[in-house]
Amino acid sequence: MSELKTLILGRKNVDDPDDTDGMPNDLMTVNMGPSHPAMHGTIRIELTLDGERVVEADINPGYLHRGFEKESEHATYTQVFPYTDRLNYVSPMINNVGWALAVEKLMGITELPPRLNYIRVMISELSRITDHLTCVGASAMELGAFAPFLFLVKVREWIYELLEELSGARLTHSYVRVGGVSHDLTPDFCERVTDILDRMDGVLDEAKGLLNGNKIFYGRMAGVGVFSKEDAIAYGLGGPCLRACGVDYDVRKDHPYLNYDQFEFDVPVGTSGDCLDRYLVRLEEIRQSTHILRQCVAQIPEGPVMVDDPRCVMPDKSETYNTIEGMIRHFKHIVDGVRVDPGEAYTFIEGGNGELGFFIVADGTGRPWKAYCRSPSFINLQTVTKTISGRLISDIVPIFGMINMIGGECDK
Amino acid sequence: MSEAKETENEAQTEAPPAVDTVTLTIDGVEVTVDKGTNIIEAAKKAGNTISAFCYHPGLEVVAVCRQCLVSVEGAPKLTPACQGIASDGMVVHTTDEASSDARRQLLEYTLLNHPVDCPICDKAGECTLQKHYFDHDNKGSRLDVPKVRKPKRVDLGPDIVLDAERCILCTRCIRVCDEVAGEHQLEISHRGDHSELGTAPGKRLDNPYSINTVDVCPVGALTSKDYRFTMRAWELMSTPSTCNGCSTGCNIEIHHRGGRTFRLIPRENPEVNKHWMCDEGRFTYHSLTEKRLVGPLVGGMPSNWKRATDAAAAKIKEALEADAGSVGVVFSPHRTNEENYVLAKLVKNGLKVDRLYMGGAAPAPDRADDILRKADKSPNRAGVKAILGDIEVGGLAVLEDDILGGDLKALIVLGHELSLGGEALAKAAELDCLVVIADHELGLAAKAHVTLPVPAWAENTGSVTNFQGRVQRMQSAYDAVGLARPGWRIFADLATALDSKMTYESAEAVFNEMKSAVPAFSDAEWGRDLPPVQLRFAHSRG
Repeated sequence: MSELKTLILGRKNVDDPDDTDGMPNDLMTVNMGPSHPAMHGTIRIELTLDGERVVEADINPGYLHRGFEKESEHATYTQVFPYTDRLNYVSPMINNVGWALAVEKLMGITELPPRLNYIRVMISELSRITDHLTCVGASAMELGAFAPFLFLVKVREWIYELLEELSGARLTHSYVRVGGVSHDLTPDFCERVTDILDRMDGVLDEAKGLLNGNKIFYGRMAGVGVFSKEDAIAYGLGGPCLRACGVDYDVRKDHPYLNYDQFEFDVPVGTSGDCLDRYLVRLEEIRQSTHILRQCVAQIPEGPVMVDDPRCVMPDKSETYNTIEGMIRHFKHIVDGVRVDPGEAYTFIEGGNGELGFFIVADGTGRPWKAYCRSPSFINLQTVTKTISGRLISDIVPIFGMINMIGGECDK
Repeated sequence: MSEAKETENEAQTEAPPAVDTVTLTIDGVEVTVDKGTNIIEAAKKAGNTISAFCYHPGLEVVAVCRQCLVSVEGAPKLTPACQGIASDGMVVHTTDEASSDARRQLLEYTLLNHPVDCPICDKAGECTLQKHYFDHDNKGSRLDVPKVRKPKRVDLGPDIVLDAERCILCTRCIRVCDEVAGEHQLEISHRGDHSELGTAPGKRLDNPYSINTVDVCPVGALTSKDYRFTMRAWELMSTPSTCNGCSTGCNIEIHHRGGRTFRLIPRENPEVNKHWMCDEGRFTYHSLTEKRLVGPLVGGMPSNWKRATDAAAAKIKEALEADAGSVGVVFSPHRTNEENYVLAKLVKNGLKVDRLYMGGAAPAPDRADDILRKADKSPNRAGVKAILGDIEVGGLAVLEDDILGGDLKALIVLGHELSLGGEALAKAAELDCLVVIADHELGLAAKAHVTLPVPAWAENTGSVTNFQGRVQRMQSAYDAVGLARPGWRIFADLATALDSKMTYESAEAVFNEMKSAVPAFSDAEWGRDLPPVQLRFAHSRG
């Protein structure tokens, strides 16, 4: 039996000090990524292997470095929105909202019109659903379950189509503006949301049916990538990964922004902190998001979708073309950027993968003097070194998948 | 930027004059300023910019725009901050309701008859009116009657066009003509909303400092014919440099984009040009794109650097071996200190000749005045003199005589500006060896055996010394055209080819060596390299 074990693991039989034949005794260094199907978002892991067991993992992010923070210093506050789209590109609306809230905090805009709050909550929750659908679907596919991926991505596509109809772009929406959103919702937006949510329930059940009772899926997920509650807090983990470790923390509940405090929803919390818990937390969060969305559809009031503040609101076209006042304001908004007084501000919101924060230092010009993004992917990625050390190579796939590292956000 | 030794010493020996100061409070910030300072300047010191149109730090105070009204505690009415002199214990508020309202209302009045011209206005993007409106008013229009119409294009003079509708009657331009150029050429006529700027009876706006009126104009009323409609201001990049038009060395900003200069703007330096520069200096950028030498020429044919350097070295060597006494070197007061220094070093260590001449354009005594313009049209004569020290150099007349007399057989010339008479020019082309290092294919550069291209002044990095002995930096705004190489590198390569090896990393390395070798530069500092900044984010200059 011991002989067989030696061959299977391809390593020295540690029980036998005289074992000199068979496979090489040395540790082996292998590059996983940056071009590897399971390393989505171009990440490289330098693995030190003892047979098939990971002894050490050195994670090298940065292959998708976009220079978001530096780029923002050369763009007006409004021109940064397209850059935020490309942070976590599976939930761009949340990033849009986060940036807008940071700039609004700098400008001292605290009171937003009620309809605007509802719109921002709706697009954020729709984006959260697409984020979780992508994560769950892609991870299942990487473990060999292709059908659930197709089911879930089908639903994601419905939502993308809806957001495309709203903003004009399937993925890179840039729909939010400082002080509001670029335009009101499409007339049938709310009906279409309800319709999608109704249809989504069935598809989710289908996908769950294929995964939740699946022995292989359980075997690959349960007990894999366990992270303790204390470690999770110490590492600054956020989002579903944090809650899967048993920490009851959700920015929407604990530090409500927009009008999240007006909605009823639960924060799912895991018990064991393994990949299975992360998966289950995400599934439940999708359900909670639909819950919030249904409340939004029922409650959304009529009204303006921009604050009434000339510092950030563009004048009407007729005013722009016919009065010098409107012309100057329009010109200044486009050429110099919105008017932000010197100061600094940090805002954080619940992103798809955790606490998404933006820190801006303003120097009184139309562009940030410094912009910093606390990207949850980057912070969550730190834990991977710890969770894959000592595990088998095959465990990297579910662990990495459930961390849901998004390259554009991680590398910023 | 730094001062030369003499100026520094002067400052050290002189005891600091006793200045009376006053302390006042502006928006809760206490600030101490010299007696006689106005509230605007005091506020600037406290980090607070008070909006104003008619006030300009380089001009007389008139307080006609009323935009700078502030509340002074104890004063019965609002006080114009430009005219209000800071006094001890004064308490000034600029953000209280009364002064904020005054600013807003004044802006509403100013904008009443202002045309909706921003999209076609040259000043858009650097307009003081746009800036103040956006910062202090930002309210909609309440006008319900037609705007007063005025002439849109009035030809005021050879370089300036007026759009009377845009004019906000701040009178800065009138004061520039009166106080800077010393000529009364502009006036405001009529009354009320019919007031209109125009030329004084029988006059045209044709003084040699006329384009300064465009710089000080807070709106787009006065436009320079040269720059008008060529470029949107906010798209331009700005690089600080020094004007190469004459020996005054006015501090300037080169405004450029895509390797092309669009205009030159004066940069404030109280010791040299204050806020101003002359029109002729502004137009010097045109030559940057005319008749440029883009690659090395050997016998008038394009060549590469290796061949051209070798050809030049071979020619010079031949001439030296034939008769070292008949080889002459011409220095250029139009080129940087660094280039002339390395040429001087090449002469001393490699060529070992003593027929040295000072080149450059002939002086133009008719352009000299006691404001900024000098007869000497070369920016660096003082620098070249300082580098050469006691070594005897001949002037243009000596050079001409030597060429015509036939004593000279070979000539190495730096700079194309060398102004020789027609006969001397023709004779020089027949010399046994003529090597010219220049940025334009003009004068001798077009007739030489070997011509080596250098960057023109806007592309060059280095220092020049103005007539006061002040060493000033020039910054490269963009890459040089074609294959041009800095002169110091060319001379170092030539020296290496002539078996006296020289290498330099950069102009800064040459400068640092020069600093220890030439006493006149011992106090000068190379300073920071300033990369171009896009005007879009550089605030209004108005």
